[in-house]
Amino acid sequence: MSEITKDLLMALADGQLDAAKRQDLERRLADRPELAADLAQMQRQSDAIRALYGPVISEPLPARLDAARIAASTRQKRGRFWSNAVAAVVIAGLGIGAGWFLRDLSAGPGPADRLIASAVSAHTVYVGENRHSVEVPGDDSAHLTTWLSARLQTNLAMPDLISSGLTFLGGRLLPAPDVPGGRAAQLMYEDAAGERLTLYVTPALTVDAPTYQLATLGVDTALYWADDTLTCTITAPYAPEKLETIARSVFAQLSPRATDPAVYSP
Amino acid sequence: MAEILHEIEACVPALRRYARALTRDIDRADDLVQDCLERAIARRGLFQPRGPVRAWLFTILTNIHRNDLRNSRRRGEIVQIDSIPEPAVQPPQPGHLALAELGRALETIPLEQKEALLLVTLEGLSYQDAASILDIPVGTLMSRLGRARSALRTLTGTPAEPHLRTVK
Repeated sequence: MSEITKDLLMALADGQLDAAKRQDLERRLADRPELAADLAQMQRQSDAIRALYGPVISEPLPARLDAARIAASTRQKRGRFWSNAVAAVVIAGLGIGAGWFLRDLSAGPGPADRLIASAVSAHTVYVGENRHSVEVPGDDSAHLTTWLSARLQTNLAMPDLISSGLTFLGGRLLPAPDVPGGRAAQLMYEDAAGERLTLYVTPALTVDAPTYQLATLGVDTALYWADDTLTCTITAPYAPEKLETIARSVFAQLSPRATDPAVYSP
Repeated sequence: MAEILHEIEACVPALRRYARALTRDIDRADDLVQDCLERAIARRGLFQPRGPVRAWLFTILTNIHRNDLRNSRRRGEIVQIDSIPEPAVQPPQPGHLALAELGRALETIPLEQKEALLLVTLEGLSYQDAASILDIPVGTLMSRLGRARSALRTLTGTPAEPHLRTVK
């Protein structure tokens, strides 16, 4: 006859043994009153715990523990979460995309690359706004010219792109830590289909930088050029050819005295 | 998806019972169950059932409770023993443990022993299921159960002697 261990006794008390083992053990316990007493003690403990907390099972459930209700509110929260998450991923993705496409245009991320990345980020953020896409609306073009020219310390006219099918919406001032004066102007235009184009204009860089770059970032194309007074990055969801055509018009209006072989080359 | 929600729903009364015994506080217990349900329901789409939904829910609840305790300990929050309401108690009958005394004794044993004891005695789970909920081997579960029982025996004034005077 094997020894009756404490664990075996406990397993019996906890109802963990199958019928055959249970009957065998109970039979052997008949001769062992001290072990039977231990068993009874453990069973009383279990009974007492069940007596204390068992009745909770039949209490009516409060509404806040209603699974269907929780499921409904979780769906709403999750909906909000996903729309925010998608927005974040789109913005981050554009930033990463900019870095990827611009990686081999010059050695390392030069000042022009950083300007283009800033231009594309600003484009992404503000073209999505409806009521607050611009700070000063385009119907106050004279004020915009005065204001932004003063802030950028350069002579900045508002290019007219009606001939390219683009209506001027207005502009805003943006921080631009990489350029002299630390400010950039964003001008926004909209075509008949509701697509938006932005110009990101800064004073000229004081360091040597490429004068012309073109980058395709997902649906958007960014075209950058620089002359000796300013830089401009045009961003729009257009094909490069179409953007270059618009760029010629913009360039002619922003820098009427200069010529840029990169933009004007056939 | 809807099926899992029904299974979750069916477990709520048992989760409440376990939570009540863990916390001895009706509001904290229901907070715990609510947190558990919110997490489970939010993740039910991701849930690949390795076992029954019930075990999964008890695991979540146990973990939330442990985290809550850890956080409140870090914050230095003190739970007043006096503020914990005593369960309704009938006068002790001969041969039965005084329930209030047992409730207080349960409060003083280590949490890991209390979890093991409640899952097995109150929830009537098999050693295997209880061990998997607590993520421990069955042997560890049994040693926790044994220690919990000895501690309770000492605390409720019925020493582990072969011949117990209270027995009859």
